[in-house]
Amino acid sequence: MNERHLLSQPLSRRKFLRGAGVALALPALQSVAPRQARAEAAAATSGAPVRAAFIYFPNGVWEKAWVPEKTGRDYELTPSLEPLGELRSDVLVLSGLDKKNSHGGDGHYAKTANFLTGMPVAKTTGKDISSGGISVDQLMAQHVSGLTPLPSLELGTEPVISGIDSNVGYTRLYGSHISWQSPTRPVAKEINPRLVYQRLFGRGTHSSSAQAESYQNLLDFVLEDARQLRPRLGRDDQFKMDEYLDSVRAVEKRIEYATRQEPREWEPTLDPAELASRQPGIPRDFREHIEIMMDLIVLSFQTDSTRVCSLMFANDVSGRNFSFVDGVRGGHHELSHHENKEEKIDQYQRINRWHVEQFARLLNKLKSIQEGESTLLDNSMILFGSSMSDGNRHDPDNLPILLGGRGGGTIETGRHLAAEGQVPLCNLYVSMLDRMGVEVEAFGDSTGPLAGV
Amino acid sequence: MLTRLSPAVCCRLLLSPFLLVLLFVAAAFSAAAAEEAEQKLAAWKAMYQDKIHPIIESRCLECHRGEEAEGEFDLAPFVDGDSAAAQMDLWDRVAKRIRLNEMPPEGSPQLTDPQKSDFYRWIDSRPEQDLCNQLATDETQAWYRGHVMSRRLTRTEYTNAIRDLLSLELPAGVELPSDGGGGEGFDTTGDALFTSAIHVESYLAAADRLIEQAALDIATPSESLSEREAASQTLRQFARRAWRRPPQDAEIERLLVLFETERAAGANFVAAVRQPLKAILVSPHFLFVVESEPEEGGVQRLTPHQLAMRLSLFIWSSIPDEALLAAANSEEIYTPEGLRKQVRRMLADPRARALGENFGLQWLGLSNLATTATPDSELYPEFSSQLASDMREEAVRLVAGVFREDRPLLELIDADYVHANGTLAKHYQLDVPADAPWQRVALESRRRGGVITLGAVLTASSYPRRTSPVLRGRWILEEVLGSRVPPPPPGVPALEEAHEEGKKLSLRERLEVHRANPECASCHNRMDPLGFGLENFDAIGRWRTEDDGFPIDAAGKLPSGEAFSGPEELKQVLLRRQDEFQRHFIRKLLGFALGRGLNKFDDCVITDSLEALEANEMRAAVLIETIAASYPFQHRYFKAAAADPSAAAR
Repeated sequence: MNERHLLSQPLSRRKFLRGAGVALALPALQSVAPRQARAEAAAATSGAPVRAAFIYFPNGVWEKAWVPEKTGRDYELTPSLEPLGELRSDVLVLSGLDKKNSHGGDGHYAKTANFLTGMPVAKTTGKDISSGGISVDQLMAQHVSGLTPLPSLELGTEPVISGIDSNVGYTRLYGSHISWQSPTRPVAKEINPRLVYQRLFGRGTHSSSAQAESYQNLLDFVLEDARQLRPRLGRDDQFKMDEYLDSVRAVEKRIEYATRQEPREWEPTLDPAELASRQPGIPRDFREHIEIMMDLIVLSFQTDSTRVCSLMFANDVSGRNFSFVDGVRGGHHELSHHENKEEKIDQYQRINRWHVEQFARLLNKLKSIQEGESTLLDNSMILFGSSMSDGNRHDPDNLPILLGGRGGGTIETGRHLAAEGQVPLCNLYVSMLDRMGVEVEAFGDSTGPLAGV
Repeated sequence: MLTRLSPAVCCRLLLSPFLLVLLFVAAAFSAAAAEEAEQKLAAWKAMYQDKIHPIIESRCLECHRGEEAEGEFDLAPFVDGDSAAAQMDLWDRVAKRIRLNEMPPEGSPQLTDPQKSDFYRWIDSRPEQDLCNQLATDETQAWYRGHVMSRRLTRTEYTNAIRDLLSLELPAGVELPSDGGGGEGFDTTGDALFTSAIHVESYLAAADRLIEQAALDIATPSESLSEREAASQTLRQFARRAWRRPPQDAEIERLLVLFETERAAGANFVAAVRQPLKAILVSPHFLFVVESEPEEGGVQRLTPHQLAMRLSLFIWSSIPDEALLAAANSEEIYTPEGLRKQVRRMLADPRARALGENFGLQWLGLSNLATTATPDSELYPEFSSQLASDMREEAVRLVAGVFREDRPLLELIDADYVHANGTLAKHYQLDVPADAPWQRVALESRRRGGVITLGAVLTASSYPRRTSPVLRGRWILEEVLGSRVPPPPPGVPALEEAHEEGKKLSLRERLEVHRANPECASCHNRMDPLGFGLENFDAIGRWRTEDDGFPIDAAGKLPSGEAFSGPEELKQVLLRRQDEFQRHFIRKLLGFALGRGLNKFDDCVITDSLEALEANEMRAAVLIETIAASYPFQHRYFKAAAADPSAAAR
């Protein structure tokens, strides 16, 4: 077992792993110095890949200020969508999409955990937690795994909501997870931008291979521990040991990836000085936190560190104080329960609009990055939406969904596409999976690909 | 409507002919509830017949039919809704296997997504069952079945374990993801703890840096001690603490392979020993609460070392120390006196602060205070992250103090002191120097003291720009009294808080309108009065006598007819309901200790605890003792793991 790593690894891993003189950092995903020759070779043989991001915001929207009246190309930018401005030609506005498996259950938890699975969320305060299915981002990640240093990134801004809601009979962790590796396994999200950056780009350029081997030996040892332990555990406990085993293997793969010699399919170059300059600081407030997290999405896509990403602006039922937005005085969840009162609706709508501004900023950044003849935005699919429509009614139909980017030239943007009669949101996911090269017959409650995309 | 009758009214009714009317109303009321339950059950049965039975037939029966059924699990008898309803518990198991995607097994025709949807919806729409009729079945005896018990350490426990093992904080740049909660609401619930790749990355990075930094006791090789022997000694000693049990020889041998591999690669002795030391910290034997199965299945007592681990997680949220391990080695911990001695010793230890910091904050819903409390800086410029952290500390000290100093449990409702430092005392207008350290401050009045007037609670249950009697009332009902407050039913018309032209209404007046709507009133009549009792505290917990130009009216009247005004009288109301509080509190404590949701069998522990409390002048420490000595804490259900081909294939 140990010999395998000592003898069969021609390249030393350590240089990717160890910062000069510092105690060991997390294994770096790629060396910071551009691997110029390999990148050129890769670019000559293949085009830029398609990337997908799924961005969630809580508490729904005020539909009357969100959904355009007209459909097709001539749709008008509603007050909430106004920040899109010129980007309207890069965005597909979607309305009328529905999540039928969220009509029952609780107002929040049964809608958020399955935002990307489309399946029924198990009603439980802990035992047998299930989001019904794998989430669309994780399904994509499985398929592109091995092509990039990281299969996917899962980002957020807040810690997991603690405790259970005994009144409705759900654990609150449902409101904190949209990425599910399997129906029964939520993926932990990273909320500290500095750690995300370190995870992506490591600490330094001088690492040693012996250290990488040490790591590998160590992981082999603990894998063996877990393998020996597993059969001695009860059935339910074994599933937990499996999570550990899978996670250790995922880290092993990362280390292996960093030592790979063969050229990558797509390896854009980025000036090390620029990369270093984009190391995030500590966010001073929520606005900065969001901005930095979105910059990290741009950076990870730009460097092809990953092609799949999810981001939760906040956990569900977030009561974040939005008084930093002009004309808003109060918390998000509180104002989303607007009770049809004008003054509250106005503030709710301003919060919605602020969210669209952030989305637009992300799209603009993606658009500013050239990839050959096209832009990074052209090669992306950035889904932006919430798991309910009107926060006062908690309805999971007519969901507010925007899709930015052209998916590598396969999506005709610049339109408002209004689905007729309870079309599953999962139909859109089927279409996106297709663009990502993942062929599925069905996903979640889908009835086919989304017509007109 | 019955709940609106005050006791006084009830007494008069008892003496009058209205008694008959009352009884009639009550009977009609329960008849209506029974009818509703009946309808739910009928719909559930119909759905079985319609949607589920065809799935069972096409996807399950091929194997699960008749006497030869796979796993002795025969689904053939369930031909209609009635037969399905006759064995409700069985469907839990079916649902679990399907949700885990274990059934139908690989290679068999799978359930389609629409079939899964139907099945999950059917399971979740199952009506509540009358458990008392099923007390004696095999299924209900095995109360641990289906719970994860060999869980990983929570973030808090991991951090504490590192602190106690190495005397080090987690290194900068290592941050474990936060944990959610399950069961009775705690992160100790194995079912709700998950392991992702970023956990393992953090464990690895932490172990790597910690072992380099730690002042470890590494044996020095000498003429009489070979390198291998020195390494072996060092590893054995460290593994014993980290893994909470004596390591086996084979385990030490494997660790030594790591040492020798490093040494052969040119590392010096100390560097080479560090490698297996790191492995000990990334091993599942350190990261998981390992309760491995004995040969024989069924309900078994935990080994002394497993019991020691449960005990130290309960009281310290950390791993056992040398003394506790010694008590496990000698099996002293198995005796009632030995266990009691350990509990008292551990409560006296500073590490027992975890009962406040971990159990207490989770019970009170304050674990994420930094993100959940967001007072508006325009209205409350005095609120800062430092103040938030002081408020958090106050809560920790209150809960931990009650246990550590064996104080009356009811001080959690009403105490004649608060824990404060100079900053917090100033916030509370208490006469303490601004730079005073943390201390117990005696109160002149009972306005403060107890959990409901904690600054953290008052702030967390407010909106950014105002207080919320509704949220505060709900908080008291749920967290102190253990009541359930259902969310507003769907389809309730939007609340109209409209007011007469030109007249500005106080918050209370606006909420009175709210409660005038009968659909809202049934719950808000329970919540709002409790919350109004705290109106003298503003949205960051300061005392006030007016709000927005209106004098504060802190009077409340409950559906029971109890009337009160202000926090002091409100606490008296809660003290009169102390039975509800005690039962709820013990339930929470037991749920935290066991790391799972409770069932009816656990009620006997709650009853025992209540009696022990009574017999000990209501002093709190006996609760820890009673739980630690209880049957469910010391035992678990084991089932010999079947040979699992999928594991071998991995």
